[in-house]
Amino acid sequence: MSGHGTPNRYRQQATHTIRDEPYVRESVLSGTDRANDHRNHAYAEIDADRWRDWGRDAKTHTLTNLDRYLEEAERNLEANGVRVHWAETAADALTVLRGIVREHDVRSVVKAKSMLTEELGVNEHLERLNVRVRETDLGEYIVQIMGEPPSHIVAPVMHLSLDDCRQIFQQVLGTPRHGTPEELVAAARKALRQEFLAADLGISGGNFLVAETGTVALIENEGNIRLSTSLPRVHVAFVGIEKLIPRFEDLAGFIQLTARAATGQPIGNYVSFIQGPKKDDEVDGPEEVHVVLVDNGRTTLLADEAAWEALRCVRCGACLNICPVYRQTGGHAYGWTYSGPIGAIIAPGILGLEEALPLPFASSLCGACADVCPVRIPIPELLLHWRERAVEEGLTPLTERVGLEAYTRAATHPLLFRAGGTLLRRTPWQLGGTALPILKGWTQERTTPEPSPKSFQALWKEGIE
Amino acid sequence: MSARERVLERVRSACQERERTEHPGAFESRDAGADPASRLTTLATMLEAAGAEVVRVDGMVEAGKWVRRFANDFESVSVGVTVPSQLRPTISTKGSHEAALGLSMARAAIAETGSLLMDARDGRRTQLLVPTHVVFVYQADVHPTFRGALSSVRADLPSAIGLHSGPSKSADIAQTLVTGVHGPGRLIVVLVA
Repeated sequence: MSGHGTPNRYRQQATHTIRDEPYVRESVLSGTDRANDHRNHAYAEIDADRWRDWGRDAKTHTLTNLDRYLEEAERNLEANGVRVHWAETAADALTVLRGIVREHDVRSVVKAKSMLTEELGVNEHLERLNVRVRETDLGEYIVQIMGEPPSHIVAPVMHLSLDDCRQIFQQVLGTPRHGTPEELVAAARKALRQEFLAADLGISGGNFLVAETGTVALIENEGNIRLSTSLPRVHVAFVGIEKLIPRFEDLAGFIQLTARAATGQPIGNYVSFIQGPKKDDEVDGPEEVHVVLVDNGRTTLLADEAAWEALRCVRCGACLNICPVYRQTGGHAYGWTYSGPIGAIIAPGILGLEEALPLPFASSLCGACADVCPVRIPIPELLLHWRERAVEEGLTPLTERVGLEAYTRAATHPLLFRAGGTLLRRTPWQLGGTALPILKGWTQERTTPEPSPKSFQALWKEGIE
Repeated sequence: MSARERVLERVRSACQERERTEHPGAFESRDAGADPASRLTTLATMLEAAGAEVVRVDGMVEAGKWVRRFANDFESVSVGVTVPSQLRPTISTKGSHEAALGLSMARAAIAETGSLLMDARDGRRTQLLVPTHVVFVYQADVHPTFRGALSSVRADLPSAIGLHSGPSKSADIAQTLVTGVHGPGRLIVVLVA
């Protein structure tokens, strides 16, 4: 299955998708076209430049004062009756979860869509603990059944066609082989409703965490996040430390910006602001709420003199939708939770540069991502930043390093340069119609280039026509 | 040292390396209608664009009549805690997970985004589990901007607030829009003068 790769095998995974799964490209192109259209319309309705400046500045302010906002958030969460945990690593976060599962004898979990829990491996951990875990976002539900990770931050099954979904639903829920999307959704609603009512624990992420009020804010359209955080008696929210925002009022800006950038809506049809457990004057809601503040490499990014700006990200997915590289393969080729341009600039901080290496190179540096980012992250600059870092640390391939060194020497010595040119022109690149092995990677998909019989300098002397 | 101390220590040392910037100030958005009439029009237009139905009634008496007539087509109802007695229909009541119809009272509404601000004190299950959801909101509680609505409730926050801006929907399957995924598939907003 294409979903279980690693960043290190990006090239092979991308090649596999393009060559062996052409329908993925078709689905992703149509899905991203639609998302780009919606976002363009939604940006045109507002003073998008000014809104995006505000988003950038409010996030930059938060990140440059993150120490005090984290402490303020912790104080206010605790005052609201929330139990706050700190996780330095994914393993820490999973240990916290195990503690909650044991304390409440949790047997079944409903999960709201959350990329951070994908990053941490929450589902696999719960399965090891013999807890039944059910993704409730429709797209996440489908990839969970398929045993795949989501392929897009916002639209988990953008890579699947209607027929793919029909087959899955037929097998699992017994819907008709040619069921309409409405029939499939109705079957999922019925099956998942039982799970919501029976679950012991609800797990969510958090789009924003407000320091001033200790509010976890979540945006969605289906209602599964509201249900997951309202019905079970315990709710756990995993929140990355970069999700902080200063004031309750700031939610007005961030929620509208995120919704417009992600799906082109003025707002998600459901937004949750969670302050804490059920109060005495309330008739329902969880009795216990936990917030797990997760680092897992984010402080490494924060300490980096350039890459810290990537922490402004609100996970809208706009940079994926517009990226000409992402659009060819979808997210699975990247082999990691966060794909596309944003994934490529946060992966080195979270996974380590060596592990994440091909990703900052999986870009044509066209700059489209920076043009749509609602918080103006300079994504192309940060891609270059990681490429430079990779060269400094000697992580680029040996052939590339040796080749570039040789070229540098030749280019600064005119005689050597001319001699090299003559040699390359006389090399028989196509011996008996077959390309030399060194060109094989290139000629698999293309015709072999023919060197010009004369050098540029010779042509210049003769007078170029 | 605890995980908390280690994380905070690294955040502090990163923040000390960098110039601390100022907050850009309040988020200023579009003018969604300074006068109450255009505010209501914006709210209704936004809600309808998101797939909700909007009804305007002239006061509590008319609202009561409307809801009794509307509820007649349903077998059972679940009613939010803060819904006034005049707005309770006479059909049989059921638990929110079984009722065909749900009635809730919104604490406020936001014209700019076309949203109803639902307070947990009204009961979350009625807001979420019923297939058809009717929400009453007083026209005087409609705020022009999102930010204005947030600052009006900030001093008195319940355990949870839900903003409802349309029916439950998804376009996950083949980018086809389907309503009624997990929450109510039908949202009817009654604007009470």
